[in-house]
Amino acid sequence: MRRPRESYDVAVIGAGIIGCATAYYLASRGLSVAVFDRSYITSGATGRCPGGIRQQWSTEDHVRLAMKSVEIYKNLDQELGVETGYRQGGYLILAKTEREVKDFERNMRMQRSLGLPVRWLEPGEIREIVPELDVEGIGALGAAWNPTDGYADPFKVTFGYARAAERLGAEIFTFTGVERVIVEDGQARGVKTSRGVVRAEWVVNAAGAWSRLVAETAGVSLPNKPYRHEILVTEPVKPFLRPMVISFHDNVYFRQSSRGGIIGGWGDPNEKPGYNFESSPRFLITMARLLAKYIPPLRGVRVVRQWAGLYDVTPDARQITGPVRGVEGFIQVNGFSGHGFMMGPATAHLVAQFIAGEPLDLPLEPFSPDRFERGAFEGETAVVG
Amino acid sequence: MAHPILEFDRGREVEFNFEGRRIRAFESESIAAALVAEGILTLGWSPKRRRPRGFFCGIGKCSSCLMTVDGVPNVRTCITPVRDGVEVRRQRPLGELPKAPPPEAKAGELDVDLLVIGGGPAGLSAAIEASRLGARVAIADENVRPGGQLIKQTHKFFGSRENYAGVRGIEIARILLRELDGLSATWLTRATVIADYAGRSHDVVVSTPEGPWRIRADAVVVSTGATENMIPFPNNDLPGVMGAGGLQTLMHVFGVVPGESALIVGAGNVGLILAYQLLQAGVDVKAIVEIMPKIGGYAVHAAKVRRMGVPILLRHTLRRAVGRERVEGAEIVRVDESFRPIEGTEERFDVDMIVLAVGLTPSTEVPRQAGAAWDYVPELGGPVPIHDPYLRTSVEGMYVAGDSSGIEEATTAMLEGRVAGAHAAAELGLRPDRAEGVIKEALRQLESFRSGPFSAKVVRGKQRVWERAREVIG
Ligand SMILES: Cc1cc2nc3c(=O)[nH]c(=O)nc-3n(C[C@H](O)[C@H](O)[C@H](O)COP(=O)(O)OP(=O)(O)OC[C@H]3O[C@@H](n4cnc5c(N)ncnc54)[C@H](O)[C@@H]3O)c2cc1C
Ligand SMILES: Cc1cc2nc3c(=O)[nH]c(=O)nc-3n(C[C@H](O)[C@H](O)[C@H](O)COP(=O)(O)OP(=O)(O)OC[C@H]3O[C@@H](n4cnc5c(N)ncnc54)[C@H](O)[C@@H]3O)c2cc1C
Ligand code: FES
Repeated sequence: MRRPRESYDVAVIGAGIIGCATAYYLASRGLSVAVFDRSYITSGATGRCPGGIRQQWSTEDHVRLAMKSVEIYKNLDQELGVETGYRQGGYLILAKTEREVKDFERNMRMQRSLGLPVRWLEPGEIREIVPELDVEGIGALGAAWNPTDGYADPFKVTFGYARAAERLGAEIFTFTGVERVIVEDGQARGVKTSRGVVRAEWVVNAAGAWSRLVAETAGVSLPNKPYRHEILVTEPVKPFLRPMVISFHDNVYFRQSSRGGIIGGWGDPNEKPGYNFESSPRFLITMARLLAKYIPPLRGVRVVRQWAGLYDVTPDARQITGPVRGVEGFIQVNGFSGHGFMMGPATAHLVAQFIAGEPLDLPLEPFSPDRFERGAFEGETAVVG
Repeated sequence: MAHPILEFDRGREVEFNFEGRRIRAFESESIAAALVAEGILTLGWSPKRRRPRGFFCGIGKCSSCLMTVDGVPNVRTCITPVRDGVEVRRQRPLGELPKAPPPEAKAGELDVDLLVIGGGPAGLSAAIEASRLGARVAIADENVRPGGQLIKQTHKFFGSRENYAGVRGIEIARILLRELDGLSATWLTRATVIADYAGRSHDVVVSTPEGPWRIRADAVVVSTGATENMIPFPNNDLPGVMGAGGLQTLMHVFGVVPGESALIVGAGNVGLILAYQLLQAGVDVKAIVEIMPKIGGYAVHAAKVRRMGVPILLRHTLRRAVGRERVEGAEIVRVDESFRPIEGTEERFDVDMIVLAVGLTPSTEVPRQAGAAWDYVPELGGPVPIHDPYLRTSVEGMYVAGDSSGIEEATTAMLEGRVAGAHAAAELGLRPDRAEGVIKEALRQLESFRSGPFSAKVVRGKQRVWERAREVIG
């Protein structure tokens, strides 16, 4: 197996979408980059997520960042030379309580002011978009509908970034764990890996739900907590469902994959934090019932597979991105709280701009690791948690 | 034509609709068998390249027979019985969401001491032993008829006298089922085990036509058998290319012979026996091709086949299947010492069936899903759960037995089943002294059966697995 060189400009920890995309944008700026993953590319949350890309958020920074990602996703096939399966099928976010109706109205006003073509649908209009949905049975009072939301294939996107980064000279070392971040005089100097010490000017912590543990090795404490999220897919049927359907109230989402399977998840409100990947019968049964309730003909369609992955959750459900106080050159890009696939491309691009010393497309301030110490932060509420 | 050995109890005659056509069939038939009997060989199309697909395994394991039945997509028609008036459609290539919601599922629940997954010789034997020792036992099997592979084997079995040598496979199944009848085990047919959420006990989800069952069990015996192997060659997915077991199912369970002439690939026991059975059914068997320089099966079988005029072509392999919508021919070729085809030695046979008897792979989805340690053991047919001589896996309370613990034979499957069933019962505290006697005796018979030269390979594999078991089983 190839050995890492002695030193690089940047050492990236984690080869999920964040690590691979960051490596790509760094390498295209001429920096030398090494990515380390203790397992394989997409082995973390990235390979377990359904690839939803939504721009309807409750906080402005999230809307801006997601819109920036969508700009990138739109041209990504061309840029990376792969078919990422990116499609704008829209997101249908159902409102089931009066309170949700009000919140959605406020959010939509804000989202529209930023240029998002989101609009409110009455129950009858929902049926026009997804006739199979049992709007009455589930008690939907209406829905927020944004046709420019969508999805892409997480494997194709991430491997696309990885291969493109490699073409630009980046090196990706899989099955190479980082044991600790090397810090000297308050400055990150590299990483100690299972295949030796590698020096670097910058260290990027993109280790997903394990980022907190990686940060600890540099004496940095992050507030992130890992939470299991389960998901399943059914056998394929002829495409009939274009959008992603979500209900925050039921904590559920689902869409139809390009191969025809319905892929969806439900967040268990009783889930305790921890590194738990077990699949549970409770999820299987709850999710199957929910799907059959939302789209009754799905009773005739079998589940073929279920699995679980980890959300890397922060106290405000917003990502942590940027330098930390105390250890210079140690950049956090984690805490995505269940939406790192959609925020990934824009975030990785910003991180590369930051490291290269270029002006930033969007401010990173709102996602600063320091915000929790300052105590003043606005929580994201539009989440399936 | 009357079959020399089998009498078919075909049951009532029924009629069903296939894409606007009315098809007569017998109640006892599977939908796929009834269609093949009508000469409908294309049962579906592949999702990507839309190539025609036909009957292959006949036991619900390959998914090349998925159709829409009464509006429900993706039904495995080879294990779904015909019913009067049922509507059957092919999928082009994907099924559609049902137009109307099917009836709401009825969920069932059951609490047992032991759940046996798969009702072949291994599973039946495990259930019998455990029931005899007083365990509350349930057996789930996804096929319509219990008995596993036995119910299609018309030939007299080899093996030891204590274990039914000289008795036909179908008859052994009857004996085991009769024995079980007198005991109080619960049967679930057409019941596919889809997951075992093993924790302190086993929490098993079973999919049935009426809805899901959830079975809580202290122990499970996984006896899910095996899947037939496919080999790569151009057109290997053409309707008319079939697994040996699949073809046996058609012929011996349903009395359907889906062609007139055949080429068999593989001269192990299965291929040899099948050649003989095809001749019995009036099929012209052109040849058996075998890539190895010698015959893998027993000499008695080979001699019999040769006597009946079927050439066994050693150092030959299948080059390609010929045909567009179905098999019209088979091109074979000689291979050199390193199994490379020798150009210029091609030969073509006009046949409408190509039968693959190229081995089996253990069906180990359930133990692997439950987290059992496993290893790739070529001597046992591929991936097998690590197990000790008592058939315990690394998952607490989970046993494997029969082909799913390594490809072997019905005789050993029965013996392994008995060991697993008795051991599971003993662990539950049920008459441990009697159980011990059963286990000892079955282990003795296993050892004696495996002492012959034909078992050398399996024994090597088993020993490796037992050794690993010492590391992974606490
Ligand atoms: C069920 C589920 C559904 C989701 N749905 C969506 C969705 O629809 N849309 C969306 O945008 N997001 C979704 N998410 C969230 C999204 O998947 C993640 O936010 C995103 O994939 C995070 O990517 P990452 O690269 O940061 O982390 P990961 O993909 O987790 O990658 C981290 C990598 O770091 C490696 N690593 C960890 N520790 C070390 C170490 N010490 N040394 C070396 N390597 C290490 C791991 O092996 C891993 O490969 C979902 C997540 C889950 C679990
Ligand atoms: C042509 C041929 C000739 C043979 N001749 C002989 C012979 O002469 N002597 C001899 O000893 N052996 C012979 N064998 C081998 C013998 O048939 C097998 O070794 C034996 O049947 C294996 O028994 P089993 O119980 O392990 O599996 P099987 O008999 O395959 O039974 C497995 C059962 O499990 C069920 N099942 C699988 N998955 C699930 C699931 N998830 N949920 C519920 N149910 C499930 C299946 O429907 C099936 O009924 C022959 C085999 C073939 C193909
Ligand atoms: S699953 Fe029906 S033929 Fe294989």
